[in-house]
Amino acid sequence: MTITPIIGLEVHVELKTKSKMFCGCDANHFHVEPNTHTCPVCLGLPGALPVPNKTACEWCVKLGLALGCSINEESFFERKNYFYPDLAKGYQITQLQKPFAVSGKLNIDGREIRINRAHMEEDTGKSVHVDSSTLLDFNRSGVPLVEIVSEPDLQSPEEAKKYLNKLQQIIRYIGVSDADIEKGSMRCEPTVNLKIDNFYTPLVEIKNVASLTGVMNAIQYEIDRQAKQFEIDHIEKNSTNKTTRGWDADKNQTFLQREKEGSADYRYFPEPDIPPITFTKEQVEEIKKTIPELPDQKIIKYKTLNLSDYDANLLADDSVFSSAFEKSLNNSTDPEFAKFIANLLNGPIRTNLNETQSEIDIEKINPSYFQELFSKKSELSSSAIKQIVVESYQTGIDPLEIAKTKNLFQVSDTGTLEEFAKQVIEANPKAVEDYRKNPLAIGFLVGQLMKISKGSANPQSGKEILEKLLTNGR
Amino acid sequence: MTTLNQLTLKEAKEGLKSNKFSPTELTQSCLDRIKSLDKKLNSFVTVCEEDALKQAQSADIFLPLGGIPIAVKDNFLTKDIRTTASSRLLDNYIAQYDATTITKLKNAGAIIIGKTNLDAWAHGSSTETSDYGPTLNPWNPEHLPGGSSGGSAAAIAADETIISIGSETAGSIRQPASWCGVVGFKPTYGRVSRYGVIAMKSSTDSPGPICKTVDDAADVLEIMSGGDPYDATSINEAPWKKPEIRTNLNGLKIGLPLSYFPSQTQPEVKSSILSAVETLKKLGAQIIELPDVLDPKYSIAVYTILQRSEVSSNLARFDGIRYGHDRSFFGTEAKRRIMLGTYSLSAGYYNAYYLKAQKVRTLICQDFDKQFQKVDALIGPVSPTTALKLGATEGQSMFGEIQDMLVEPSSISGLPGISIPCGFDKVGLPIGLQIITPQKREDLVYQIAKLFEDNTEYHLQKPQL
Repeated sequence: MTITPIIGLEVHVELKTKSKMFCGCDANHFHVEPNTHTCPVCLGLPGALPVPNKTACEWCVKLGLALGCSINEESFFERKNYFYPDLAKGYQITQLQKPFAVSGKLNIDGREIRINRAHMEEDTGKSVHVDSSTLLDFNRSGVPLVEIVSEPDLQSPEEAKKYLNKLQQIIRYIGVSDADIEKGSMRCEPTVNLKIDNFYTPLVEIKNVASLTGVMNAIQYEIDRQAKQFEIDHIEKNSTNKTTRGWDADKNQTFLQREKEGSADYRYFPEPDIPPITFTKEQVEEIKKTIPELPDQKIIKYKTLNLSDYDANLLADDSVFSSAFEKSLNNSTDPEFAKFIANLLNGPIRTNLNETQSEIDIEKINPSYFQELFSKKSELSSSAIKQIVVESYQTGIDPLEIAKTKNLFQVSDTGTLEEFAKQVIEANPKAVEDYRKNPLAIGFLVGQLMKISKGSANPQSGKEILEKLLTNGR
Repeated sequence: MTTLNQLTLKEAKEGLKSNKFSPTELTQSCLDRIKSLDKKLNSFVTVCEEDALKQAQSADIFLPLGGIPIAVKDNFLTKDIRTTASSRLLDNYIAQYDATTITKLKNAGAIIIGKTNLDAWAHGSSTETSDYGPTLNPWNPEHLPGGSSGGSAAAIAADETIISIGSETAGSIRQPASWCGVVGFKPTYGRVSRYGVIAMKSSTDSPGPICKTVDDAADVLEIMSGGDPYDATSINEAPWKKPEIRTNLNGLKIGLPLSYFPSQTQPEVKSSILSAVETLKKLGAQIIELPDVLDPKYSIAVYTILQRSEVSSNLARFDGIRYGHDRSFFGTEAKRRIMLGTYSLSAGYYNAYYLKAQKVRTLICQDFDKQFQKVDALIGPVSPTTALKLGATEGQSMFGEIQDMLVEPSSISGLPGISIPCGFDKVGLPIGLQIITPQKREDLVYQIAKLFEDNTEYHLQKPQL
């Protein structure tokens, strides 16, 4: 018996436009006093009319293009009619027949995941349940949402996670949303069923998943549950037995919410309040120009600099970070220099950012500093370089200045080193004895030399001098 | 003796500017008329006596409508004034904002004297289905005023106000204007913003003036019109401007669709229209009989399906959570429309009803395009009959659609049109002539109507009240 999971993802992304989708209200609703970012339009008051947010529409197209979609020249909005207390108008304005973007794809480890569509819609208000009553907050009502629907091409929870990570990365790269699952600016509804030999289990849509781990766990739970269920009842998928199940993160299981999804009728019809929207080929080209180089392209580029998979992926993970890398690199094609920068950015700088819980500030990156540091790297210990690069990033002071002030340059001057070496030999007769028996014991003496020099000696030069003196002294 | 409330807009403006009377006197005169008449006529759902008088005190008569009392159909949102759409569901709903049209009228100095009656939710052509009782026809209180803007038309006919506004989705300005013997000017769809008008059939709702003369209506339309950033379907153009008056209609081809005289047409209606044809001919127009204009009966079905569909969605927001009253406050007609519209949009029926209706709508629009290659304008009766008696709507759930069949085709095509008085039947009820032009040709509508009015006296007659 072979079981292949069939997973499709519906992802909602809140765009971070200044204003809402169909009115001028502030679109920010995170930790905002309830019902303060509202107006007749997003409250659905009688007579109020929606006027589409041009930027939001363009961003949806931009996102579609970044996902390799084709853009419909003529699109229109439709009304999706259903009753819910936080749905002010009794319908949601969305797109069905003619969305802005269709037929895209996303590459996950060399496998192509097809994207059915990226369409524009509005968010609903929020129901807040307090004791036995329900309060309504319309700050979120009318916030622009893009819904990205994948084809059921994903085959495992891990792959779903990778798909979401990648989607998140692209969305953040093009800067249209924070795509933060925990904050709710990115929400995911997986649809899961199984192919068991030649049978297909009924479709299950999972709702209320509020974290990336939750997505994986919920999918895994469904895979196991459906396999067991099929063993018992052998019920196959048909056009009327799709169900909706909620995810209970505490119990780590899904539970039945709604049966017979096929019977829901939203009575879609073209939104009469908004004329059709046209994106000409020229307009689409203009929007395309605003899309930056995306992570996949960056990774390829970084690898031509001989960077490892690990380094390339880490640098490309975030658009600002990759910009910082490219700014530091300053068009150099020297693989050694690239590796030098990659190590510093992915190492001490990243550690420092994590410690200070901050994002990298591209303004603080000075390419000539990296160049200077690179040219003097033989005179500095690796720990000194790490220390200098962080301090220079924080203060903006020339790294060589820091090295000088802090006396971090290593002493390679033979005279000074000979002085140190003589002191070491004199003070450590036992170790000298050891060395004579076993040349590998030189390490201890080098360590002593470093100690006397307070770390300023170049260990390699120090070692050579010690060896020379000990050999000559024989 | 002429009292101030009887004045036309033009006369009232002149009187105010030459200090013959004050805005307060003018407003008071209208309020007095309302007080003495409206218990009987029921043109108003709400009278804003105190507010109106207060505004009259500080009115700036140099504004285009400075100090002029206006009656507003009660489906326009008016900030801080109760707005009911003549449905008990909104009985205690105080509007939170002004409709764009209201803002424009207020900025032009107009004084809102009250909110006028309509068929509940504008669902009808009689004003008989108002939850606040029917409005009576000032020409004969046993008859209906038409609708849905029946309150505004009756208020004008009865001189309860100087000017008024209504809204038309398919006949709701022209048909009551016709039955009440006043001027109703329905502009091109999108010419006047719909923002703040309680939506009925969003794709054809068109606000417009109902006044005593063609000039008055044109002056009010100038104020109401213009692109609105709050209405994505509004025509993004500067406000419409009244054109120069023509001295004759030489060179103008006016079409007379033969299909606009259905079998139920009242003989006096037909003879009045034919006599209007003669007047227009004398003024120089070439009248061309059009035998092949699409039968307006097709518009009834198209309009009914599209309108019910949109209504079912537009009324969904009155879900019992807000606005004070629950859905049991919807009247029978609203419930019927919601159910029919829900049905026609449902999966499996959408293609057969909504989509098919949209296709036929396109054919109707195309038919107008075809006709307008032959003629500059079309004329015909507004309604096959004069005002019907109270109670005529009982058991007639398609009353409005059938009454409005002659204005539905142009409404669903978004064309501008006007209803002007052109005669009376044998019991003295008024008859209306409609003039229809291609989209955005309100200039031509005005010129023909104005010249017709200047050469006839029907508009000068007043009901005996």
